[in-house]
Amino acid sequence: MSAEAKDLGGPADLTETERAAVEAELRPLADDEFVLAERYTEWQVRAPTLESDLAISNIAQDELGHARLWYDLLEDFGQSEAELIWEASASEFRHATLVELPFGEGDWADAILRGYLYDTYEDLHLHALEGTSYPRIADRVGKVLTEEDYHTQHARNWLSRLCDDEPSRERVQEALDRLFPSALTLFEATEHEEAILDLGIRTESLADMRRAWLSTIRPYLDSLGLSVPASAEGEVLADLPEAVGRNGEHTEHWPALFSEFTHTYRELELGEPPRLMKDPDDV
Amino acid sequence: MRVTMDIGTVEERAGPRQFGPKDDMPEEYRKAATRMIQFHANSEIMGAYLERPFIRQAPSLDRKLAFSAKVQDEIGHGQLLYRAAENLGIKTRKQMLDELANGEGKFLNCFHYPMDHWWETPMIGFFVDGAAMRRQATLKNTSWEPYAHAMDKICFEEGFHIKHGESILRELATGSRKEQELVQEAFDEWWPRILQFFGPTDDQSTHHDFASAVGLKTMGNDELRQAFLNAYLPKARKYGLEIPEYPRIHEHNDGRYEVVEDDLDWNEFWQVAKNDFEPGVAQIDSRKAAREAVAWVRESMETPSAGSSAGGVPGAAD
Amino acid sequence: MIWEVFRQEARGKYHTHCGNVHAPDKEMALMFAQIQHGRRRPTHSLWVVPGEEIGEVDAEETTFGGTTDKSYRWAMTFNTDEDFAEEIAASQREQEQAERADRAGESDEDEADETATGAEATEEGESA
Repeated sequence: MSAEAKDLGGPADLTETERAAVEAELRPLADDEFVLAERYTEWQVRAPTLESDLAISNIAQDELGHARLWYDLLEDFGQSEAELIWEASASEFRHATLVELPFGEGDWADAILRGYLYDTYEDLHLHALEGTSYPRIADRVGKVLTEEDYHTQHARNWLSRLCDDEPSRERVQEALDRLFPSALTLFEATEHEEAILDLGIRTESLADMRRAWLSTIRPYLDSLGLSVPASAEGEVLADLPEAVGRNGEHTEHWPALFSEFTHTYRELELGEPPRLMKDPDDV
Repeated sequence: MRVTMDIGTVEERAGPRQFGPKDDMPEEYRKAATRMIQFHANSEIMGAYLERPFIRQAPSLDRKLAFSAKVQDEIGHGQLLYRAAENLGIKTRKQMLDELANGEGKFLNCFHYPMDHWWETPMIGFFVDGAAMRRQATLKNTSWEPYAHAMDKICFEEGFHIKHGESILRELATGSRKEQELVQEAFDEWWPRILQFFGPTDDQSTHHDFASAVGLKTMGNDELRQAFLNAYLPKARKYGLEIPEYPRIHEHNDGRYEVVEDDLDWNEFWQVAKNDFEPGVAQIDSRKAAREAVAWVRESMETPSAGSSAGGVPGAAD
Repeated sequence: MIWEVFRQEARGKYHTHCGNVHAPDKEMALMFAQIQHGRRRPTHSLWVVPGEEIGEVDAEETTFGGTTDKSYRWAMTFNTDEDFAEEIAASQREQEQAERADRAGESDEDEADETATGAEATEEGESA
């Protein structure tokens, strides 16, 4: 928590501005995890080997579990899981467009590299929440961070092996060229960015996080023989894609994906998504 | 020096977990065990392949998590089983997965049928898995020790799968009228296939005698079918599912069930068993395409690295 | 060279780690292990593995089974009845046991944290 930021207390203690800022911080966090997990599950029963199938399935479940924790905090403000996800409209989602892009058939390089770009960002983001002024977030950040260690390790192990031989490295480079602009959308701010920082909900700005991210990924990917479209001084040599996600504008892939995963819910006209697990506060 | 065990000795010594990789088993035993375990492993993979679209279609976060975990477990079971088959020395895992891709590998009848809707999922997740679980519990006593060890781990996990399947069934069966109707439709469609899960009666099953004699199987199809019906027919009724009139099932006074075999479509069954059933072939082929699309990753894992200690682990992939 | 030794007590059971031997090669390791680890305890088979070939990851480096709620992968989470089929009841019993053991492990650790000095003393006592 920054020196001047006060403890915001529980959901009921928030002013309207504070509440809007907390929601604006949580929604992208939850949606990123959810949509990335949704994409990761496409690798189930289709990964390169049985062992790698088990590992990526687990990562998908971890991310989905994290999404569940963040959506649960959004539910504090009166919206249900149904309203947040299953009965929402596609444009209410605030995930970065990086996570919604489909994988090309067999494009394991994309899955691994996307994971690396995302996990490096997520690690920075979660660390910037460790000192949050909103205790409900602070309570959950540690558990989520611990699971991210495996994800980063997974991505790095795979990247170093894939970049070991020329044909595979080329595939990783292609994925990098394609994904890099979309990865930048992770750092796109919402109109609440200033309030989020002023209130100490997050202790680092997205702009600073982007710099830190670049200074991590660039030398690492460079060491693997990959070329990152950014200068050593941190100047980005790529344009943002048209749709950045954080403002509700998405690529054409998103409505299709949204329609697929809400299909059963709509078809059965469910009024409520079935719950199996305990409320995160009771675990 | 060890000499290959003769069949007489194998039959004499056959018992739970009696033979392992160190025993020099006769080829007939190793081939029969390979055929049986490979079929089992293939079924885990093809079952998972059939269920995977429903990770996406699951209608809540919790259901999605559970479905993903269940499909993940099935792949884990495949991993365990291919290993148990592999150390019989007949085929490598790669060979078995290749055979599955090119249509030679055989697997359970039920996984040849397409599954299009969420309300069909308990037909696999509860009934088929329940039938499989019944059989698997008896295989803890198979004579091939690595197979029995795999079964220990599989049975440990399987309780989650069946309860997960029943939980979806209950939700549908106690849901809206529409849900109840849809689940009944699914049941009507799947029930005959489920009854064929245990294959034809024992006297028609070609591999049964040898597999029993050498302790690979410890219970016959008829006995397993009885046990399955005893537990699962009342469950179906409990959830208000109407048992279709055909195939006829006679319930005898001693509690024994008798399925009228002629009411079942055995032509289709044998077509399925030979991987000649069109929807099943489509499943095999689309899985093959997915597998081939990541062949480059397996090749990359097998390419010795230029400098780092990372690459070049022999046989690490596939 | 150090060889780790795994013993199987009887046919059909699992090989579990029981100790190690110093030996220059596999044959010598098997020879020594028979005496060092197989002479008293019931033994049906021994494996020897070069110690340096064993990789390890422990609970300090990772969190096995994750840190967030994974109850979706446990039978106990689903409140349908498991007693209608013995094999399902058995599976659930095994899962409950695994969960209890996991919990017990955690609580042991908590206690150890609180009484760090005491725990160290016990370790010393054991190694003495």
